[in-house]
Amino acid sequence: MLVEPPMNGGYLIAAYTVTAVILVGYWVRLWRKATKSGGGKGKM
Amino acid sequence: MTGSSVSLEGARRIVRRGLGLSAVGVAGLAGVYLLALNFTPVEARQGLAQKIFYVHVPAAWSALLAFSLVGIASMLYLWLQDPRLDRFAAASAEVGVAFSGVMLTTGPIWARPIWGTWWTWDARLTLTLFLFFLFVGYLALRAAVHDPVERARFSAVVGILGMLLVPFIHLSVYLFRTLHPQPIVLKPSAPSLPPEMLRTLLISTAVFTLIYLGFVTARYGLALAEEIREEGRDAG
Repeated sequence: MLVEPPMNGGYLIAAYTVTAVILVGYWVRLWRKATKSGGGKGKM
Repeated sequence: MTGSSVSLEGARRIVRRGLGLSAVGVAGLAGVYLLALNFTPVEARQGLAQKIFYVHVPAAWSALLAFSLVGIASMLYLWLQDPRLDRFAAASAEVGVAFSGVMLTTGPIWARPIWGTWWTWDARLTLTLFLFFLFVGYLALRAAVHDPVERARFSAVVGILGMLLVPFIHLSVYLFRTLHPQPIVLKPSAPSLPPEMLRTLLISTAVFTLIYLGFVTARYGLALAEEIREEGRDAG
C-alpha cells in the first residue's frame, strides 16, 4: 500500500529561510565593514 | 605584525575577491533550493522536511571544516609564529560560528516533525553545541586580549582544543546511543542515498564550501587591512 508523505512543508520553508538569512546577513555584515572603513574596524 | 608586504590596496583586493566569491556562492544557494524543491524526490516517510537535510548537512560540513582548519592553522602558528596563520585561524573561526548557527537552527527545525521534539541532549547534539560555545569563547578571547602576540598564542591553544572535538562529534553516532542519524556519505561503505538525492547533497556541499572560502577570504582581507592601518597610525 502506498503511504502519503507527511505534510510538513512549513518546517522546510522555515529552515531554508533561516539559512538564507544567516548567510546573506553575514555577507552584508562583511560588505558593510569593507565599505564603511575600507577594511573593517573589528579586532577579529 | 602583518607578516607580509601587502599594501592596503592589496588587502582591499583580497576583501573584494572574497566578497565576490561568497556572492557567487550565496547565489548558488538559490540554485540549491530550486534543485532540492523541484528536481529531487520527496522522501516517503519524512516528507518535505527531509529536504532540510540539503542545507543542514553541508552547513555541518562547512562548520567542522572551518574549525578543523582553525586547529591546524593554530598548531602551525605555534610552530612557525607566522601572523598570517593566526589571521587565517581567526577568520575561519568566525565563519565557522556562522555555519554552526545554520547547523544548530536547521537541525531542531528538522527534528521537531521527525523526532517530535526540538532538542534532545544526546552526544552528537550536546558536543556540537559545546563546540559552538567554545568558538564563541574563542572570538570573545580575541576581543579581550590587546597584545597581538599574546592574543594569537592564547587563541591558538583554544583553537587546537576545539579541533580535538571534531572527530568525537563525527564518531559520536557510533560511540554513544543517539537519536541522530548515522553518516550516509562520510563512512567506510558506499553512500546510502538514491542518486538524485546524493547529487543534490553533493552540489549543495560544493556551494557551501565555496561560500566558506569566500567568507574566509573576505574576513582575512578585512583583518589584514585593519592591521596595515594600525601599523600606519603607529608609524605616524
